[in-house]
Amino acid sequence: MKRILSIMGFVFAMGSITSLLIIGMDALTFERILANEQALFQSKVLDAFDVPYTTATINEVFIQNVEAIELDVNGETVTVYRDPKTGRISMEISGGGVWGPIIGVLTLEPDFVTIANVAILQQEETPGLGGRITEPAYLAKYIGVVFNPDVVVTKNIPSADNEVDAITGATGTSTRFQIILNDTHAKLFPLLQALEN
Amino acid sequence: MNRFWKRLQYTKWFNISKDGIFKENPIVVAVLGICSALAVTNRVENAIAMGLAVMFVVTASSLVVSAIRNFIPSRVRMITYMVIISSFVILVQMFLEAFFPVIAASLGAYLGLIVTNCIVMGRAEAFAVKNPLKYTFFDGVANSLGYMWILIAVAFFREILAFGTLLNFRVMPDTWVNWTVMALAPGGFFVLALIIWGVREWAKYFDVAAE
Repeated sequence: MKRILSIMGFVFAMGSITSLLIIGMDALTFERILANEQALFQSKVLDAFDVPYTTATINEVFIQNVEAIELDVNGETVTVYRDPKTGRISMEISGGGVWGPIIGVLTLEPDFVTIANVAILQQEETPGLGGRITEPAYLAKYIGVVFNPDVVVTKNIPSADNEVDAITGATGTSTRFQIILNDTHAKLFPLLQALEN
Repeated sequence: MNRFWKRLQYTKWFNISKDGIFKENPIVVAVLGICSALAVTNRVENAIAMGLAVMFVVTASSLVVSAIRNFIPSRVRMITYMVIISSFVILVQMFLEAFFPVIAASLGAYLGLIVTNCIVMGRAEAFAVKNPLKYTFFDGVANSLGYMWILIAVAFFREILAFGTLLNFRVMPDTWVNWTVMALAPGGFFVLALIIWGVREWAKYFDVAAE
């Protein structure tokens, strides 16, 4: 009995000390990690708007060159970002991938249906297959594709203006990414049009 | 000088360090930690960052295990190592994400997977739990140095062949055609296997087939 108690005491003490360490480190780094994530998002939007920036000036350049617009989607506030010069609109896209969430940035031309740029911020797809979704060469295939009324990720050679080549060997990632793009677009398109008028 | 060298060879800390870095190198001889050695060695800077992260985790967790070795109940010792190791890994991960986000992103999932790096658990169970702090420190540093130099050696060849660069500086002539397979997993297998072979020959370490 005494042995069991001493083991339990040890485990409890060890758990408390390590938890305290981690909580302390979290408190120290929490703000910086959030700031880094924000900077990554802002840099992808600036890339899509072709605005030059340096790592140190991302936030300033973003505030100066990007107009934030809040949209009300059934009571939920969604922020989209507009480039006053070209009229391009950037929005965050997110949804479930194969192994974890896929989060990215979708940028549309001023007609709100043509894709100007797609970037990935976070993904946990299979390395070498679905993970290729982050490759600039693959994402470049989305540029100029039109939501007509949906984007279709196809295994065949793209023939229509709304078709994109899927990633070979990553049907799961490709179809889920198609759903994420179409859901976000379907949700925001009427509001963006209303904004225009 | 010669006498000093001779005496050095009989000190315990020298032998511990030699075993960790060379004679019982965790990757070459024990073949532990192969997963990360293949995954993050396509660029030298990633190899260095991974090596430093592992060095911190191995040394810190071994020191803690060694410091409390007389209090660890033997029934829960594995769990104790695991809790200590994962705490340190989370600390490293938070630190890199906060201050070196680019390196954290390029190490990706492998940073969190230091938890499963057998070298860390191996040193805790094989050495730290039986030895005093002083020697544990040498053992931790030596083993992670042994891990690190192999990683850097692999990354050195892979980065030059796959990107024509070294620490992001161009070293190959402009006519060099990037050997893409070296940046992918197969390249890691080729280079690591050759390096393990080479170092085993050099260290005169041979697996003797059981007869």
